Amino acid sequence: MITAAAYLISLLLVFAAAFQDRCRSRQVAMLAASYVFYATGGIGFLAVLVASSCLNFALGEYLRRKPDLKRLWIGILFNVLLLSFFKYLPSFGSAAVSTSWTADLLNRVAVPVGISFWTLLALSYLFDVYREEEINPSLLEFCLYMAFWPTVIMGPICRLSTMLPQFQQVRGVAIEDVLAGARRIGIGLLMKVVLSQLLASGLSGIDGVAAGFDREAQDWGGFDVWFLAVGFGFQLFFDFAAFSHIVIGAARIFGFRLDENFNSPYLSSTPSEFWTRWHMSLSFWIRDYVFIPMAALRRGTLWRYFMLLFSMILFGLWHGAKATFILWGAYSGALLVLHRVSQQLQRRWGLNFSSRLAATLSWAVSFLAVSLGWVFFRANTLDQALRMVQTVLAPVAYSRFVLPQSYYVLVSALVIGYFAIESISKALASRSVLVSSPNTATDFNAVSPFLWNARWWWLSPMIGALLLFHHFVVSTTNVDLTPFVYRLF
Amino acid sequence: MNPLDQNSQANALLDYIVREVIGRPGISLSADSPLVSSGLIDSFALVDLLAKLEDVTGMRIPAGKVQPKDMDTVNLMLLTATRIGKPKKSS
Repeated sequence: MITAAAYLISLLLVFAAAFQDRCRSRQVAMLAASYVFYATGGIGFLAVLVASSCLNFALGEYLRRKPDLKRLWIGILFNVLLLSFFKYLPSFGSAAVSTSWTADLLNRVAVPVGISFWTLLALSYLFDVYREEEINPSLLEFCLYMAFWPTVIMGPICRLSTMLPQFQQVRGVAIEDVLAGARRIGIGLLMKVVLSQLLASGLSGIDGVAAGFDREAQDWGGFDVWFLAVGFGFQLFFDFAAFSHIVIGAARIFGFRLDENFNSPYLSSTPSEFWTRWHMSLSFWIRDYVFIPMAALRRGTLWRYFMLLFSMILFGLWHGAKATFILWGAYSGALLVLHRVSQQLQRRWGLNFSSRLAATLSWAVSFLAVSLGWVFFRANTLDQALRMVQTVLAPVAYSRFVLPQSYYVLVSALVIGYFAIESISKALASRSVLVSSPNTATDFNAVSPFLWNARWWWLSPMIGALLLFHHFVVSTTNVDLTPFVYRLF
Repeated sequence: MNPLDQNSQANALLDYIVREVIGRPGISLSADSPLVSSGLIDSFALVDLLAKLEDVTGMRIPAGKVQPKDMDTVNLMLLTATRIGKPKKSS
């Protein structure tokens, strides 16, 4: 009841903020809305967020007076210690300590919601001050940046340089923003409630990705593991991209433009390209604040390969203190290094793989390699992850099938459907651009922009059919909606 | 090493980018062509370019102070070197 009232107050404050004429009162209302919203997770969590915001603002001012490495390190240490205390100490500590009361105490440490996300916001601010970027927020603006209600729970990890000018603008609610935002929210809900949920729980509610990974008998066949890996990869994509759509849409309704977090990642033709399209805000954060500064410290290719591995292990560790996340990071880093080495060899030997067949092969290999990595990300234990990868590598395992046929049909249908829609949309969009040139005015080119511009007329019935299918197939199984995966991080 | 003048620096960097980074000698680039935002060069190549920028300008450039957007064009790279670079100590 209290939570529902808090959500309502928060929403009313957001609307009140939207109609304020003065910049400062708008910021105050927006910050109040953000704090009320965040406090629904717990007043203690809000206290940690407020304390971190004030301390980081003070650290930023201290760094601004003399932007040197020593002062930057103080800020980095503060944030890393804060994050480690809440996120990593309970896992590492309870495993390491022998006395039961200490373990019990550590288990009682609750992780403030979104701390992994807003700690990176604070760190990026300190790095930017060190770089002498022209950003000079007030305390109110900085607190708003840290607690901004759409992004505080699960990102995207925006930069202050893009948010500050928006906080300082006064604008009402524009109808085109409302429509664009509502459309993004609709797409997000479709991806989460229908697509991600279908994959998570399966057609009968008990034969989805979750059941596949949580089987007691770990006797998967080779194809079982591949389909679980691909199925989970798509479930995670539909889940996290859905949240990003909803957040970006909700912010857009009130006139805020947030950074995109996904850009058709499964169309990437190399592992490097994948990491410029998947969880982009975190990927670019690691690139800008970890990889480039560290890799440039020393010359030599080996050092850079090492830093690629290190950056990706950090990427994995950010998700949690679990061996499976570290292994997933190391595996992703190894893929990036392998891609670099293959690029170097191609260049040295003068090989040119620019044909369509080579591009398709490159895409297929990258897709399968990235998908296999999801086994490490999702597996319940390290032992399970290694067992599944061993299964993939054993030819005899490909004659064994333990997952139900309906799971294979579901994953195949959703994956093929996804690629078909992506390909058609991209083809129509590019044709739509091409016809602006008078030389390409063929009949097909005249039809395709019409199809593209009117896509919501023919896509809507398809979406409606999917919703009906979801209603009759999944809702009748009384399965609870799976929570967002990234809320755990 | 004697630092080159601004035009020669730009030409040396462009030549290096076309031959060594992109690996397509036929491609035509100017000092204002976007490199990072257009996807022509990625983060790995950016680190190579930072090292080359130090060689060409004779400056020590602290990588922690550089953002990818500062390296988007050859002209921006040279501006960045002037802004945050410090002359290298002669050995």
